[in-house]
Amino acid sequence: MSFKTASEGYVKYQGLGNWAFVLHRLTGLGVILFLIIHVLDTAAVYFKPDLYVDAVSLYRSPVFGLGEILLVLSIIYHGLNGLRVIYFDMINPDMWTIEINRKSVIWTWIITLVLWLPAAVVMGSHILEHLGG
Amino acid sequence: MQVTLKILRYNPEKDAQPHYERYTLDAEPTDRILDVLEKIKAYEDGTLTFRRSCAHGVCGSCAMRINGRNRLACKTLLQTLDTSKEITVEPILGLPRVKDLIVDMTTFFDNYKKVMPYFINDEPLPEDGRERLQSPEERERFDDTTKCILCGACTTACPTFWADNSYVGPSAIVNAHRFIFDSRDRAAAERLKILAGESGVFRCRTAFNCTEACPREIQITKAIAEVKRAIITGRLD
Repeated sequence: MSFKTASEGYVKYQGLGNWAFVLHRLTGLGVILFLIIHVLDTAAVYFKPDLYVDAVSLYRSPVFGLGEILLVLSIIYHGLNGLRVIYFDMINPDMWTIEINRKSVIWTWIITLVLWLPAAVVMGSHILEHLGG
Repeated sequence: MQVTLKILRYNPEKDAQPHYERYTLDAEPTDRILDVLEKIKAYEDGTLTFRRSCAHGVCGSCAMRINGRNRLACKTLLQTLDTSKEITVEPILGLPRVKDLIVDMTTFFDNYKKVMPYFINDEPLPEDGRERLQSPEERERFDDTTKCILCGACTTACPTFWADNSYVGPSAIVNAHRFIFDSRDRAAAERLKILAGESGVFRCRTAFNCTEACPREIQITKAIAEVKRAIITGRLD
């Protein structure tokens, strides 16, 4: 009906399926935003090398470091959830039951965390090392 | 026990914006939300407006958002909710509000009509002039999607429909599925063509809200996936 209605539903509607979907959208937005920035700054190497150098030094700041940790989370979740949906929808529609869907959402979150936490620890320790000088 | 309902009220003749009003009253754990709404209307505030008819989960009139999920008020017992907290009751989302818990279902039924939700077969009747026979297996193929009561709980739980109500929505696809996979029907190709269009099944983002919301426990996301597959493969198996 409108952006307002959709936003209300995204935020207020209850249910694991809705949360999995909203998270999929948010992580997708995060990844596409990163890709746009990445393409633009890499293009700057050719068009405006000084800007590229500035951008890379900016990315070394802890704030961007935290952003990169979240980016890894976004890529892992978006990819895994996407594979889950593709498998259910295109290969085995019989798995679209309430029970299997709820379990598969929770397992997707668990596997995402298991894959993400080691990366987050390694990347986080690099940020701390960098901060410590 | 005492129960508090927080109801989203809206009177277009008085209110610029919808607002919540709270009603606390005595109720039994075996009362349904519909019973509580009836009590409020009878004893607390006669202006409260909602749709109801059969009160037995068949007519599909009383779909509303209860604690943030679409349900039928007549099938939601208080004992299945946390009555120690307020129970939030709001109209279904994605259709224009008319008053309080009533929404204008015109768009919903327009989308329903788009998929030709009726039996089409211009072939002559069997020689005995009676019914077109079907095996139990052929009947079973679409049994699940015959259960729809057009309450709108699925379609108004759909994120794609919230954003754009030109999307036919889960309910219309369920009712298309009911005829597409009926061995006696002859218009499957036409319906699949409609559903392959830009307002059709491929707008589904598999959020699964529809299946969770269906008071008839129809496997809606599965039905949508089967329609998608039929479009892609061109087969009705």
